[in-house]
Amino acid sequence: MNSIERINAAVSFETPDRVPVIAQIFGHAAVLTGVALGEYVRDGELLARCQIKALEHYGYDAVFAVMDVNVETEAVGSALEYRVDNYPFVKSYALSEITDLDSLSVPDPYDAGRMPELLKAVTILRREVGDEVLVVGCVLGPITLATQLLGIKKALYLAIDKPESFDRLLDFSTDVIIRFGTAQIEAGAHLPIVFDPSASPAVIPHQFFREFELTRLTRVFASFKKAGAKANWLHIAGPTDPILPYYPQAGVDIANIDYNADPLAAQQVLPKTCIDGNIKPLSFVEATPEEIASESARLLNLFADRGGYILSSGCEIPPESKPESIAAMVSATR
Amino acid sequence: MSELTINRLLEALLEGNQSLAVVESRKLLENDVKPERIVTEGIESAMTQLDAKCTVEQFNLLEIMLVGRAVMEVMKVLYPTDGSPPDTKGIVVTGALEGDVHDLGKNILRIVLTAKGYRVVDCGTDCPVEKLIDTAAQEAALTIGVSGLITTVIPQVRQVTAILSERGLGHIKVMAGGAALKQATAESLNVDFVAQTAFDGVHYIDQILEVK
Ligand code: B12
Repeated sequence: MNSIERINAAVSFETPDRVPVIAQIFGHAAVLTGVALGEYVRDGELLARCQIKALEHYGYDAVFAVMDVNVETEAVGSALEYRVDNYPFVKSYALSEITDLDSLSVPDPYDAGRMPELLKAVTILRREVGDEVLVVGCVLGPITLATQLLGIKKALYLAIDKPESFDRLLDFSTDVIIRFGTAQIEAGAHLPIVFDPSASPAVIPHQFFREFELTRLTRVFASFKKAGAKANWLHIAGPTDPILPYYPQAGVDIANIDYNADPLAAQQVLPKTCIDGNIKPLSFVEATPEEIASESARLLNLFADRGGYILSSGCEIPPESKPESIAAMVSATR
Repeated sequence: MSELTINRLLEALLEGNQSLAVVESRKLLENDVKPERIVTEGIESAMTQLDAKCTVEQFNLLEIMLVGRAVMEVMKVLYPTDGSPPDTKGIVVTGALEGDVHDLGKNILRIVLTAKGYRVVDCGTDCPVEKLIDTAAQEAALTIGVSGLITTVIPQVRQVTAILSERGLGHIKVMAGGAALKQATAESLNVDFVAQTAFDGVHYIDQILEVK
């Protein structure tokens, strides 16, 4: 089996030749290749080259065209500050007040900010790996994009004080996400992963997830499937136990769980959904390769009977991680 | 009379109802209730009740944000010049270090400290260690509170205490908190205290003052 067939088997609960393994390597690919992170997130060609090098080095099942959490907000109008050895961040938000929402328009992915560079990365990666390895693009989820357009504090107060305005902001965010994600699929991504850290129960009550997020995620995932996505992959960090039951309804095929979610509880509420996770990201910096190997073995064992599993970390593998530890996770599936 | 309305203020605060809380605190002032009494019996007791409800497992961020916002609005009514009482229990300088933009937790710390009678000088996010320390020196701070959500700031956190003592500011206590730092011990971060929650941090400072 090649990587795509293997992942397909896991998603449809058939038996793969081995459990697929996906290392969530974004900025680490730059560090591994000796490229400055600040360059990596601005140059699609460089990003693709580093991803291919990392793939050759580790031999896992997916590559990522992921820059950082600011691509969409920058394309809409936020100003970023770039750093040499770090991810960029927002200096001023596209919206200083929610009343400015009407002046914003959905950005053209072929023209706005770094979106074209990300599309370029997707195209190069697909050309390089074809249908052997999964090419993953990336969009934010509606709540996270809303918090990235207005600032998280203002956005959360808005959700309480003027839910109708927050709804409109979420609808706008959803339109941005669908347009960008669809362009990624057209450019060659097998699927765009949906990152939604601010929809985590660490930030919002799970009732907010149900009331504000669920219908929009459903719309996003339905559009991606229609555009040809191989599967729908949702990534929310933190203690997600209370929101996992909503995932199937939203159209999620692969559910990422972080280190502070419980894999057994996740199996129970997601009997037919493929799960990926959940090695503690920090342990790739701090623990020994032997510890990563035994944690991987423990997880593989937990999912052995059930299937529907991709071995992975709970969230991004930090850029400064030890390569031997990442290699230890990959070898655990062999 | 004031007894009754302080209770109403307390309820409005706990409900996170900022406009009602503002109305109730204006009424109290009009009835010659002293701002200090409104702080201790209204605001501080609201914070104590919230504190009791918020454990590490049971933490409703939005509830705290709402109560916090109401508290800050009432403080502005009580102390129109800068929203904090003229004589504070002490000054706390807060910040997130270079490369870290997360600030929700740090904002909560600011609110809780302000409500408990401390003055907070916030250096914001992505703040160089030197700036944090300069500010603490200028303000004659009691404590520095470092908030860290990403692990890459840990080497910077480890420097704070050393730089303070080099500069003869060793009496300023350093506490750390936030999702990344709270996984570490005080020894490994080279700080005086690691807080699991914002309330934890306030208890620590209260305790420093008691010892003094
Ligand atoms: C919301 C969020 C964001 C928002 C931040 C918005 C904002 N303005 O704050 C956005 C989307 C912008 C964001 C961006 C990123 N994030 Co982020 N984010 C989160 C998330 C989901 C929640 C954090 C949060 O606000 N929690 C709620 C607050 C209230 O909790 P708290 O900070 O712990 O505070 C409490 C206590 O700790 C205490 N406290 C806090 N500070 C202090 C200080 C003192 C002195 C005291 C006494 C107490 C105290 O008070 C609070 C109440 O008790 C976490 C995941 C998680 N579940 O934790 C990831 C997380 C923190 N992010 C992470 C990452 C990696 C990133 C990015 C780098 C992603 C990327 N690849 O681009 C970027 C860039 C970040 C940067 N350069 O700083 C990682 C960090 C991992 C690591 N390596 O250390 C996390 C843990 C997710 C993960 N599992 O990987 N993120």
